[in-house]
Amino acid sequence: MATSTASAPVTPGSVDDPRPPRKIGFRQQLGKWDVKLSPYLYISPFFLLFAVVGLFPLIYTAWVSVHEWSLLGGQGEFVGMENFQFILGQPNFWKALGNTFSIFVLSTVPQMIAALIIAAMLDANLRAKTFWRMGVLLPYVVAPVAVALIFSKLFADGSGVINTLLGQIGIDPIGWHSQSLPSHIAISTMVNFRWTGYNALIFLAAMQAIPRDLYEAATIDGAARWRQFRSITIPMLRPTVIFVVITSTIGGLQIYDEPRMFDQAGKGGSSGQWLTLTLYLRDLGWRTNNLGRAAAVAWLLFLVIIVFAILNFTLTRLIASSGAKKDKKGQLRVSASGAAIPSAPSPASTPVVETSPATGEPGSGTDGTTGRTAR
Amino acid sequence: MAIAGATSVALLATACSSGGSGDSESSDGKITLTVSTFNEWGYDDLLDEYMELNPDITVVHDKAATSDEAREKFNTGMASGSGLADVAGVEVDWMPEIMQYEDQFTDLTSDSVEGRWQDWKTAQATTPDGKLLGYGTDIGPEAIAYRADLFEAAGLPSDPASVAELFGGDSSTWDDFYDVGDQFMAAGTGVPFYDASSTIYQGQINQVEESYEDPDTNEIIALDNPEVKDIYQGVLDHAELSAGLSQWSEDWVAAFQNNGFAVMLAPSWMLGVIEGNADGVEGWDIANVFPGGGGNWGGSFLTVPAQSEHPEEAQALADWLTAPEQQIKAFQTTGNYPSQVEAQKSEELAGITNEFFNDAPIGEIFAEQADRISVNPYKGPNYFAINSAMADAIARVTVDKTDDADSSWKQFEDAVNALG
Amino acid sequence: MSTSIPMLEQSAGRGAARAAARRRKHQTQTSEGRRAGWVTYTILAIVVLGSAYPLYYSLQLASSTASQIAQNPIPGLGLGGNLLENLQRVMDANINLPQAFVNSVIVAVVTSASVVLFSTLAGFSFAKLRFRGRGPLLVFVIATMAVPTQLGVVPLFIVMRELGLVGNLLAVILPGLVTAFGVFWMTQYLESALPYELIEAARVDGASMIRTFWHIALPAARPAAAMLALFTFIGSWTNFFWPSIVLGTQNPTLPVALQLLQASFFKDMSLIMAGVVISVIPLLVLFVIAGRQLVAGIMAGAVKG
Repeated sequence: MATSTASAPVTPGSVDDPRPPRKIGFRQQLGKWDVKLSPYLYISPFFLLFAVVGLFPLIYTAWVSVHEWSLLGGQGEFVGMENFQFILGQPNFWKALGNTFSIFVLSTVPQMIAALIIAAMLDANLRAKTFWRMGVLLPYVVAPVAVALIFSKLFADGSGVINTLLGQIGIDPIGWHSQSLPSHIAISTMVNFRWTGYNALIFLAAMQAIPRDLYEAATIDGAARWRQFRSITIPMLRPTVIFVVITSTIGGLQIYDEPRMFDQAGKGGSSGQWLTLTLYLRDLGWRTNNLGRAAAVAWLLFLVIIVFAILNFTLTRLIASSGAKKDKKGQLRVSASGAAIPSAPSPASTPVVETSPATGEPGSGTDGTTGRTAR
Repeated sequence: MAIAGATSVALLATACSSGGSGDSESSDGKITLTVSTFNEWGYDDLLDEYMELNPDITVVHDKAATSDEAREKFNTGMASGSGLADVAGVEVDWMPEIMQYEDQFTDLTSDSVEGRWQDWKTAQATTPDGKLLGYGTDIGPEAIAYRADLFEAAGLPSDPASVAELFGGDSSTWDDFYDVGDQFMAAGTGVPFYDASSTIYQGQINQVEESYEDPDTNEIIALDNPEVKDIYQGVLDHAELSAGLSQWSEDWVAAFQNNGFAVMLAPSWMLGVIEGNADGVEGWDIANVFPGGGGNWGGSFLTVPAQSEHPEEAQALADWLTAPEQQIKAFQTTGNYPSQVEAQKSEELAGITNEFFNDAPIGEIFAEQADRISVNPYKGPNYFAINSAMADAIARVTVDKTDDADSSWKQFEDAVNALG
Repeated sequence: MSTSIPMLEQSAGRGAARAAARRRKHQTQTSEGRRAGWVTYTILAIVVLGSAYPLYYSLQLASSTASQIAQNPIPGLGLGGNLLENLQRVMDANINLPQAFVNSVIVAVVTSASVVLFSTLAGFSFAKLRFRGRGPLLVFVIATMAVPTQLGVVPLFIVMRELGLVGNLLAVILPGLVTAFGVFWMTQYLESALPYELIEAARVDGASMIRTFWHIALPAARPAAAMLALFTFIGSWTNFFWPSIVLGTQNPTLPVALQLLQASFFKDMSLIMAGVVISVIPLLVLFVIAGRQLVAGIMAGAVKG
C-alpha cells in the first residue's frame, strides 16, 4: 500500500538545500537549526504518543502475561507460561476462538459479496447519484453500540420483530440468544449493516477507476455482461478486495461492541454462545480481576490476527489471481506487495488524493479505534 | 505551536475532570462528597435533606444501573487507587470479595452505630480482627408476589391470606411451592407459573448456611456440596413451571406486560422492579409467605474507601444515611427494607402499604419475613463468581435449552475450576 | 467549507473516475456504464430502505410507551406520541446522559482537532521536508496501522492508573490525539497537493519553518483535513471498548452511557431507544451536512492504491 510514498521523489530545490548564506550570524544559525530539527519536531507527536499508548503497552502486555497480576492486588509473582497454559486449557478460550472466527466469516463473506453487487448497481448511470451513495452509507454514522441496541431488540427471542414475523408465516421462532449459530448470524448482521455500504463505496471507486476501454473491447468481442463483470471487473478490483479483507481481518477478529451489547449481561451468553476473544479478555481482566490472564489472551489474539492476516492475504490473492490470468492485457500492474495499482489514465501531475485504500475511518487513535475496530 | 499545545492541555485537564473524583474542596471551604449506589436506594430526597442540614457539604450521587455494574466499577476504582466515591455502596454478595483488601477501607467502628443492626448483618461487614468496614443499609427479606387475576383464572384462591395458606403458611416448604405450581399449570391457562428458574434457585441457596465455600478456609466446596446439587436438580426437575426467561432480559421485561408468568419471589427491593416493569398491569399482590423458613436475598452496605479525602465527613454521612429514620424513608420510596433493628420495630414502618400491590401491608409483611430469617449464609471471596456461573448453568437448561442438567453441570464445574 | 467541496471533487475525481465518467457520457454504453434500469433502482431502493429502517424503528420505539412496545412486537408504520416525553425522561435518568453528551462532544472535537493538526504537521514533514531516516520512519508509521493496538488495553489501563487518569476523559483523549492513518493520509495528500515552489517562495521570504507550515501547508491541506476531521469525529463518537474500560459511571461518554442504560435495573425499551436517538442525532446532522464529503473521502481513499 505504501509503494507510492516510499518511492516518492524528493524534488530538487527542496528546502534543505539553502542558497549560499550571505551573512553568517545568529539568525542564520537559528535558521539552520530550524531546517534541521523542524522535520523531526513535526513528526515527533505521533512517535511519542505511539510509543506511550501503542508500542509500550503492546510490549508490556508480554511482561504482564508472564506474571500473576491481579486487578486489585497488582503485580504478583513471575509465573512463566502458566497463564498461557491456563488459557489454552480453558474450553471457553477455544469456544471464543471458534465464535470469533465464525462471526468473522459470517460478517466478511456476505458483506464483500453484497458490497460488490451494490457497488455494481451504484456504478450504473444513475439519477441522483449522491442520494444513493449517501443512502447506502447511512448506517456508518450510527455507533456500533446503538446498532447493537436496536438489533438486539429486533432479534429478541420472544418479543422481537424478526421472530414475530417468522411466527406469522408459520416458522418456529429462532433462538437468536440461545443457540450459537443464530447468535453469530444476528451479530454479523449488525456488523454487515454498518459496513456493507461503506465497502460498497470503496469498491465503487475502484470500479470507476477501471478503464472503460476494457469493457468496450470486451463488448466488441461479444462478451456478456456477467462475463465482463467476472473477467474484467473482479480481477481489476483484486487489490482493493485484498486490502479490504485484510483490514477487516485486523478489526473483525477484535470484535467487541456488538457481542458485548447483544444482551444486558455482556458475558457472551450462558454457555458462551457468542463469547468472542476480546469479550473473553475483558471478562478475565475486569470481571474476574486477573490482568495476567487477560494479557495472555491479548497476546494469543495478536498471534491469531497475524496468522489470519497472512492466510487471508494468500487466499484472496490465490482466488483473485485465477481470474486475473485471463486478463493479462488488462493493463493490470501488480506490485510485489500485492497492492496493485490500477493504471489510471490520469496525468502524473494531477493532484490525486493517493491515500491508503479503504483504511476507512482513522478512528481516534492507538487506543483501539484505529482503523475499523468495530468490525 | 508549543503555546497552543500547552494551553489546550491545560484546558483539557480542567474540562475532563469535571465528572471525575477531582478536587473536592473548593475555595470557600465547602466540601463535596460523592455517594455511589446502584439500582434504586431511594436516596435522592435524603441527600437533599442532608445538604440542607449541612450547608457546607455538597453531595453528588452516582447511581450505577445494576449491582454487577457497580461491582465492576468499584473494582476498577479500587484497582486504580482513585475514582471511588467517598461513600460507596457495596452489595452483600461481593462484600466478602472486597473485604480481602481491608486496608483500602476506613474502619467505621463507632459508638453511634453500636447495636444498630442485627448481629448477622454486622458480621457480614466485620473483618476477622474486628474492624467494621461497612454500615448496613437494607436487607432483602422475601415474600411471594403473585398475580391475583391469573390465580383466579386458574381456579386457585386469590386473596393474600388464602394464597399464603395455599403455599403452606408458616411451615411452607419448597415442595409446597412446586405443588402449587403444578396445580396452577394443571388448570391449563397457558401461563407459566414463575418467571425464571434461576430466581427460584437464588431463593433456596440463600437459605443454605455453607453453600459454595468453606467458612474457615474459603476453600471452594460448591462442586461437592450435596445441598447445592440438590437445589440445582430440584429447580431443573420443575423447569416446566418456569417461563424460561432470563432475568433482566428483553423478553423478561416484555413478559410483565404480556401475562408472561404468575409468580415471582419478591425480596423487598424487587417491588420497585415489578412496579416499574408492570406499569399499567393490574392484579399484582403479595402473599405473606416464603418457602423454606424465610430468606434474605441481597442487601447492601455503605463503605468509606481509604482513598476518600474526607473520611470523617464521609463516615458521618454514611452514619446518617443508615440511621433508622432515614432507612424508613427509603423503604417508603423504593421498598428497600431497613436492616436497622429499631427501624424494623417501628410503628411507622409497620403502617406502610403499597398501592400497586393492592394496598398490601408491606411494612408488616416484610417485618414478619425478616424475623423468620434464621440462616446467615456464608459468602466468601468467590461467592459472586460461583453464583454467576450457577445462574449460567441453570439458564443453559431452562432458557437456552441447549443442555440437559448433567452436561450443564459439567460446564459449571469447568467454570468453577477456572476460578482457582 | 464552500471552497473545499469543489476542491474535493477535483482531487478525488480528477483521476480515473472523472475521466471514465466523461467518456461514458458520449460513448456507447458499456456494461457498467449503461443507464440504470428499474431492477437496479429497485435493488438500491431496498438497500437504502434496509439501511434506514433500523433507525426508523428506534425512533418508533423511542416515541412509544413501554407497554405499547411490549404488547406490539411489530410497530405499525407511524410514530408514537411520546417522543419528547421519553427524551426528557432519558435526559433525567440516572445515567447522566447530559454529561455523557458533553463528554462525547469534548472527546470528539478535541481528538479531531488534534489529529488534524498533528497529522498535517507530520504529513508536511514527511511529504515535503528532507531529513535523515525519513523513508524508514514513514514505513514504520504505515506498519503501525496494521498493529492491533487495542490489544494493549491491559498495560494501557495500568499506565492510566499510574497517571491517575482512570475515570478521567483525558484517558480516552490522550491515546486518540494522533493516528497513524492521519499521518499517512496527510502525507499522501500534501505530497501532490502542495507544490515545492510555494514552500520555496516562503522560505526565500525568510519565513521560518513553522510559519511556512502555518501559512502555506495548512491552507493547502484544508480539503483532506476536513475529511480527516470528519472520519476522526465519527470514529471517536462511536468508540466504545476503551472508554468502557477506563471511564467510570460518573463520567461516561455516550456509548458507555447507552450500555449503562441497557443494563438498567428495570428496562424500559422506550427509554433505551430515546437514548439511542439522542446519540445518533448529532452524527445524522453531520451526515446531512457533510455526507457528500464523507462519500468523497471514502471513495478518494480507494481510488488508488
